[in-house]
Amino acid sequence: MTTNMKYKSKPLDCWQWGKELRLEAYQDLVTGHEQGKILILGCAATPYGILAGLGDFVFLAGEPYGASVAADPPFSIPCMEAFESRGYSRDMCGYMRNFLGSMYLDKYYFTGGNFPKFDFVWSVRHCPAGHPKWHQLVSEYQGVPMNYIDDETMLSNDGDPQHRLEYVAGQYLDSIEWMEKVTGRTFDDEKAIEAMRNYFRNESLWGEICLLNGAVPAPLDIKSLFALMPISMLRRHEAVATQFLETLRDEVKDRIDNQIAAVPTERYRMTMLTPPPWSFLKIFRYLENFGVVFVGTYVYLINSGEVNFLIDEGKVVPATVPEERPGWPEIKNREDLCRTVARWRSEHPFQSHLDTRKKEYVIIFNQWKGDAYLLLLNRGCVPMTTSMYDFQRDLQSHGISVAMFEGNFADCRDIDETGVLDRLEAFLEGQGIYKMADA
Amino acid sequence: MITAGIDMGAQSVKVVILDDGKVLNRSLVPTGFEPMEAAQKALDEAIKAAGISRDDIKQIVSTGAGRKSVTFADKSITEVTSDARGITSLHPSVRTIVDIGAEEARGISCDEKGKVLDFAKNDKCAAGSGAFVESMARALEIKVPEMIEISLKSTKDAPINATCAVFAESEVVSLIHSKVEKADIAHAVHDAIASRVSSMVRRIPIENDVALIGGVANNVAIVDAMKKHLEVDLVVPEDPQFVSALGAALAAAA
Amino acid sequence: MEDKSIVRAIEKFEEILENRHQYARDWKERTGGKVTGWLCTYAPVELIYAAGMLPVRILGTHEGQDVTDRYLFPTVCPFSRDALAQGIKGRYEYLDGITMSRTCSHVQGTFDNWRNYVPTPFIHYIWFPCHRESSRAIPCLRGEFSDFKQAMEQFTGKNVSDEDLDKAIELYNTNRNLMRQVYKFRKSENPPITGAEAMEMVVASQLMDVAEHNKLLEDLLAELPDRKLDREAGLRLMMVGSEMDDIVFVRMLEELGCTVVIDEHCTGSRYFWDDIVFQEDRLAAIAGRYVTRWPCPAVSSDFNDRCDRTIQHAKDWNIQGVLLYQQKFCDPHEFDIPSLQEKFKEIDIPALVLEFDVTIPFGQFRTRIEAFLEMAELEVF
Repeated sequence: MTTNMKYKSKPLDCWQWGKELRLEAYQDLVTGHEQGKILILGCAATPYGILAGLGDFVFLAGEPYGASVAADPPFSIPCMEAFESRGYSRDMCGYMRNFLGSMYLDKYYFTGGNFPKFDFVWSVRHCPAGHPKWHQLVSEYQGVPMNYIDDETMLSNDGDPQHRLEYVAGQYLDSIEWMEKVTGRTFDDEKAIEAMRNYFRNESLWGEICLLNGAVPAPLDIKSLFALMPISMLRRHEAVATQFLETLRDEVKDRIDNQIAAVPTERYRMTMLTPPPWSFLKIFRYLENFGVVFVGTYVYLINSGEVNFLIDEGKVVPATVPEERPGWPEIKNREDLCRTVARWRSEHPFQSHLDTRKKEYVIIFNQWKGDAYLLLLNRGCVPMTTSMYDFQRDLQSHGISVAMFEGNFADCRDIDETGVLDRLEAFLEGQGIYKMADA
Repeated sequence: MITAGIDMGAQSVKVVILDDGKVLNRSLVPTGFEPMEAAQKALDEAIKAAGISRDDIKQIVSTGAGRKSVTFADKSITEVTSDARGITSLHPSVRTIVDIGAEEARGISCDEKGKVLDFAKNDKCAAGSGAFVESMARALEIKVPEMIEISLKSTKDAPINATCAVFAESEVVSLIHSKVEKADIAHAVHDAIASRVSSMVRRIPIENDVALIGGVANNVAIVDAMKKHLEVDLVVPEDPQFVSALGAALAAAA
Repeated sequence: MEDKSIVRAIEKFEEILENRHQYARDWKERTGGKVTGWLCTYAPVELIYAAGMLPVRILGTHEGQDVTDRYLFPTVCPFSRDALAQGIKGRYEYLDGITMSRTCSHVQGTFDNWRNYVPTPFIHYIWFPCHRESSRAIPCLRGEFSDFKQAMEQFTGKNVSDEDLDKAIELYNTNRNLMRQVYKFRKSENPPITGAEAMEMVVASQLMDVAEHNKLLEDLLAELPDRKLDREAGLRLMMVGSEMDDIVFVRMLEELGCTVVIDEHCTGSRYFWDDIVFQEDRLAAIAGRYVTRWPCPAVSSDFNDRCDRTIQHAKDWNIQGVLLYQQKFCDPHEFDIPSLQEKFKEIDIPALVLEFDVTIPFGQFRTRIEAFLEMAELEVF
């Protein structure tokens, strides 16, 4: 029993409920067809609430599935090998290799049974390194139709974005027509609008929860946030997700009022910019032996529209839902919905120009009252890694300490665990943080 | 107060014994397959040569890749920390450290007190380390000291194109078959290492004075090549392979 | 019979490649114009030219370098790193502008770092709509091009008229047409131009004033019918893949007993295969060309589209072997290579896959290529 306990701690009351909700989402894919639902594959960033216009559906996002597989090396390695043995390279997206390998092996991670067969694939060109092609491989393998939206709109401060927004909104509208054709169903605008209103509200709730983690001590640690995120990520369009997230938010506030910590020995707070190395999550537990708590990460937790950055004020707040944003119209029909979605997507933090993003990184760090950033040079993801050294220098120019390590968020074979821990220890020594004597 | 620092390197164990900041003695023993035995042997040799007994040593700090396996150490610190402590005690003007070891290279930025401000390391890459020199020497069928000597006499560039040490070895074989002079190949090898290491070091701020430490700093051809690539003059302490162990011994006295 | 003009044209191409920076500086002095660099073939060179600027492609030099690790993670494509190295080393100090279209994440890294670390007066990013199959793409790109045109007008202080656009479109369409004609000669049993020479021609087109390049192409086309090369054509090879301007490699390849008779890469046919079709709205016409052109895998989200076109080229040029290569770590090509392998197998064309770095280990590559040629020849004969 460590004598360094500074704070009280206890598990979350709503933890079990959260776990059930999360697993239901994955299990629903197996029973979905029996229940008369349509099964659709897409990306985590897809505004899948729109699909409610077709009726009951189950949506699987490729990345969280890939991450879940990646976190389980004995399951993951054969999956990646199955994908690579078809002639694909090991340096391609880690999430994708786990996902597609699982499909080629016909093993669904959450039940061990057959891999689900989708009714169609509805993707976004979220990542220029190949999200649509990833999904095309599924579409061809399963013989199901595919449509995608190219909508990562910002990345540029040059020119007027209006024609880009029209391009994106137009694609969403065209894809609704396409969905009707491939399913033979009539799209119900009202149902889609209602589902997306839930979607926006739940996103904002999740953003609120993440931002609350700026309290000292942090009421939640990053591992809990990762475990709970899928509820928001996969069930964002559902009323039950709202109930859960409101409950969670209230419990987090209560923990803050009563100084209940996620890590009772908290004395050093770290944040990340990227998803973690999913097969090496024990890194967070290990660093608790040093009194380090990880309070959040930009990509994964808050980059898909959960928060609004007020750059000029140096602040970050939970996202305002679109219809409450000044100057944004009420959503009355599918055209309004598509335009709103296009505009809302364009304001996702991750969509912003790099110069803006650098400011966001500093703002969220301050919100989370971080002591240092941990940056992962992710061999599995080029878009996330390309400018990492630039980010490092920028953060350091703001007086922020930065630790860095090379690895792979989804390929356990690409992480030198001893080397990573060594490196982190070296960094923490430089900060005057040593392993606690009785840890 | 007498303290000891043990640097458990991949290839060799170095021990430094300090008495209130003064070096009493040092030892170096190959790590081999039994690191604990090597550590014990190195410590015993240093103690004997210093004319003291084990009980005289009040605190032992280990560092290096194998530091956690030294069960008789009171504490361990990473080699990043020990490098910075060690070099600034010898040369207080140093602000940037390049350590090229048997299997790893690192760049460290520090302040005047030896506090680490930032660092970078080569990950999973032998192309910027002593191991590369040794394997290339084997490919040239000469010993490392001879390779260093002839490298300094090179008259022509013979670029080694592969970025990977493993591929570079077969490239060296191709160069030998193309009758390229061994001296030029040797020079190219040293140049390739310096290029790799400099590339990595540039990820941290490079501020004078810049020191080169680690066993490979004994290789004058590497020193020359590093000066050329980093475009700075280098501080190379005597017996650079002991700097990290010195840093550990100083940490033990703190 | 001494064949002066053809030697002149090809020698001129080589000279441009070797002295590209001097050429650009001389052009600036002669014309008083500005030079804008571009990184990827989705840059609308016609627009840049119409704005009175010389568009030049930013390429690497295939020398080892140790300056980019500070900016770009090592598992970023070598071409991207090599290109950035040129900027960091000050080799493009004469550039007045740089532009890039949103296509590939790797070269995006080059652009983002260039923007911050290589002082360049005019910097413009074109947000390219990659959903080629969508009817919404062309209007979006037209909007982007309109913004780009305005930005260039502000920078140069000169308006871009429809006449300027027409002139540029005509010159570039002519350029493409002439290069396609040169490529047609490579269909013959003993092509009168080697793959290395053809690549020099295309790379030169990306570095020179298009009007001057057109004149050289006309000279070349006048002499090709009578040109006989003093070499065995050997195996008819196709090169398919990422950015490729390593002329030394292609020369080495062809010395081993083959001729590259056709290619599908962006210092080759993918750059120039498609024309601009006239429309009253010139910007829409140019946008139409760039959306529908032969796709680069970094833009296209349907690997079949590009792969099928490539196979057609392979058949039309009657190839006997294909080199499928990529820049190391190139995700877009890594997606397509297995499909290409399958499709080439279906038409019984043997394929060799190679990965390229900034510098390449010639020894190992030579061995692999020789083994491949031996194997391919056995299949043919």
